[in-house]
Amino acid sequence: MLIMRLTSSPHFYACLYIAVGLLAAFNLFEIIFMLFHKNRLDKSEVEKELLKHRISTAIITVTDPSEVLPKPVSAMNYAAYNEAVSSIIESFEGEIVERATKLIYKFEIDLYYKRLSRTTIWFKRAHAIDMLSALKLKKNREFFYAVFKSEPVKEVRYRILYGLSRLARDREDIYSISKLLATLPYLTAKYTEDVFLNTITALKNSGKEEEFGFFLKQIMTDTGIPLKIKRDCLSACYLAGCERDGLIVKEYYSAFQNEPAIIIACIRTLANVDPGILPEVLRHKDWRVRLTALKYAHLGGTDLLHDLKDLVHDSNYHIRLNAALALSKLGDPGLEILRGETASTDKFAANAAKYALTGAEAAS
Amino acid sequence: MSHFLVSAAYYIQGIILVYFLAINSTYTLLILFALKDIVQNSYLSTSRGARRLLTSDSYYKPVSIIVPAYNESAVISDCIRSLLNLHYPEFEIIVVNDGSSDETIARLKEDFKLGAYLKPVRRQIPHAPIKNIYISGNYPNLIIIDKETGGKADAINAGINVSSYPIFCSLDADSLLEPDAILKSSKPFIENDEVIATGGIVRVLNGCLVKDGAVLEAELPTKTLEAIQVLEYARAFLSGRTGWNLINSLLIISGAFGVFRKDMVVAVNGYRKTVGEDMDLVMRLHRHCLDNKIPYKIFFVPDPVCWTQVPFTLTMLRKQRNRWHRGLLDSLLANRSMILNPKYGAVSLLGVSYFLFVEVLGPIIELLGYILIPVFYFMGLLDAKFVLLLVAMSLLWGISINISAIFLDTYNFRRYKKQKDVLRLCLMSVVDFLGYRQITLYERVRACFYFRGTQWDTQKRQSQ
Repeated sequence: MLIMRLTSSPHFYACLYIAVGLLAAFNLFEIIFMLFHKNRLDKSEVEKELLKHRISTAIITVTDPSEVLPKPVSAMNYAAYNEAVSSIIESFEGEIVERATKLIYKFEIDLYYKRLSRTTIWFKRAHAIDMLSALKLKKNREFFYAVFKSEPVKEVRYRILYGLSRLARDREDIYSISKLLATLPYLTAKYTEDVFLNTITALKNSGKEEEFGFFLKQIMTDTGIPLKIKRDCLSACYLAGCERDGLIVKEYYSAFQNEPAIIIACIRTLANVDPGILPEVLRHKDWRVRLTALKYAHLGGTDLLHDLKDLVHDSNYHIRLNAALALSKLGDPGLEILRGETASTDKFAANAAKYALTGAEAAS
Repeated sequence: MSHFLVSAAYYIQGIILVYFLAINSTYTLLILFALKDIVQNSYLSTSRGARRLLTSDSYYKPVSIIVPAYNESAVISDCIRSLLNLHYPEFEIIVVNDGSSDETIARLKEDFKLGAYLKPVRRQIPHAPIKNIYISGNYPNLIIIDKETGGKADAINAGINVSSYPIFCSLDADSLLEPDAILKSSKPFIENDEVIATGGIVRVLNGCLVKDGAVLEAELPTKTLEAIQVLEYARAFLSGRTGWNLINSLLIISGAFGVFRKDMVVAVNGYRKTVGEDMDLVMRLHRHCLDNKIPYKIFFVPDPVCWTQVPFTLTMLRKQRNRWHRGLLDSLLANRSMILNPKYGAVSLLGVSYFLFVEVLGPIIELLGYILIPVFYFMGLLDAKFVLLLVAMSLLWGISINISAIFLDTYNFRRYKKQKDVLRLCLMSVVDFLGYRQITLYERVRACFYFRGTQWDTQKRQSQ
């Protein structure tokens, strides 16, 4: 009856006509707008690339590039300046970087993105922070700290910390970053590692590499810094090769005997400087620790043959396979054990041994 | 005419009208959600971010790319060559020959210098027996599994067992990945530990200029049947899937291109043998995480592109659509505990409900509309002016949804460079309603009556 009532209403057909007319007009408008928008974007993309090229060339070849370059006036112009300048800052050093930095201040590119970082739309703020972070301006440190305090969205806060990590000056800075990281939900190991890798790179660039070691020592007993962050600091330290003598890492290894995550992070550094820990970690109750130790077992030499032979019969698939691979890297004594294992009644061990032997033969 | 029949006819008309309004409003809402997601994505994913993954020593996770293949001798070598050119720091390619009856394995042996691969396989998920595993002498990251036929799901399961890396990408053999597709689709896994699966956009390869396994230029296919599918894919991926991101209720990641966290897929016992193994897996992942209170995210990333061949004959198209709909029905049936179950939150109440009421019931109601509206008109139950206006409105609304999908594509991605192609796509938005939609609709309704079966459904390939 609804239909009957609807169709007999005097306004019903008027509404239908309006709806049909609006839909037709909307479709037409959408097509025209789309073609116009596409055309505009295509043109703007070409212009942006040309401008970027012009900016890069001017910075490299002219003492004062601001004299030969146009002042940015549109979002596209600012993006071109940001991308070109940040690429120069990443690839060059010395005078050219100074010129690029001067250009940023002269054309107020940083101010443009600082203004953008106060918009109400969170992803626009995140984008502005990314752009500022790429410029690596030391003056932005205080700005980043200030916006972190007022920023309500965690996705933007992660980006602010990332930007801050590229401007670290000393252990106090890294400590502040760790404290701020601890206030956010843990994101990923890769993110945290990257943040600390940035801090190490920034310290190395200013000749204060040892500051990271002091920082590691400082947070070792600090209960305000979560274990995961400590672990990621150790991993970043290993990746950046900043703890070559391993003294502090060894302290961590001794202090966190019941924390497999920390032990795993320590093994990577210590295996190179103190292979004496290998027999102990190869017998660790946590399979992830044993697995990490196996990746470095070849550094322990033939002293580990017996342990490795046992591990070829481990209950864990990854351990068996990696134990066999470690044996295959220990020369003839290791290969001899593997040959013996191929006849083992333990078919898992036999298969692992065969696989490792094939790889070793192919390599030789 | 009896009073009862007239009343029934009016009720049916009411249902059709309400349904029409509800479905089109849902599509419109999804487009708005998708627009927000795409704009957001354009701000957050800078090319610099993706490049950093390539240049950094630590900032990536190695990926296993699993390619199930059944009678794919015509395309398999090109597919592998395209994969070998991927821009990614560490990956392995695992091609699973699922007992092909053609020359697939011979072609692989000839083209990639295969030798025995002796790495013991950890059988975490069940699958049909493996006959042999090979490794390429030229490319140490290329592994070929030769196994007995078990279907696509079974083949991927075997690939998962042989794979060495924590995330894997499942890919169809007739598909080509853009060089940075893995980089972009695996980025969310690095940025957030809660991400367990991502899907990228699948675009139509037919008509494109391809050289050495890479798409050099995207062009709209000349044949109308293929060109309409370009529009259909844009609508399905950009408005359909992107829209669901906003409420974390994405239920489909295309079998042609999806990236998954291996431990989670193993936890749900891998792919299930069904015609819609891709949707079924995503539904079970949702269920597993919600049942066990595991925080998780399943994303559609609109940027990484996989190019795939679409059917170029009507018979192939009908077969494919029938299979897809059977897959949808079977997945919903197998995961029926998720239907209207508040325990599963938005995934059930919005995502699953959408598939049940819009995708499953929609074709039946639409077909009823096609049949009954003329019947009611000839019975004198409908006014001619009303019928004409209703048809005009439904056509224009449908066209507007199609054009909005093209708009979403053009707004950010602009794959089709020529204005001519964009205009032709707009024309296809209209052509879509002149037969194509009705054919696919018929197949979808037909599929409701027979939806069991798990065998490979091979289609003819055009070499590029």
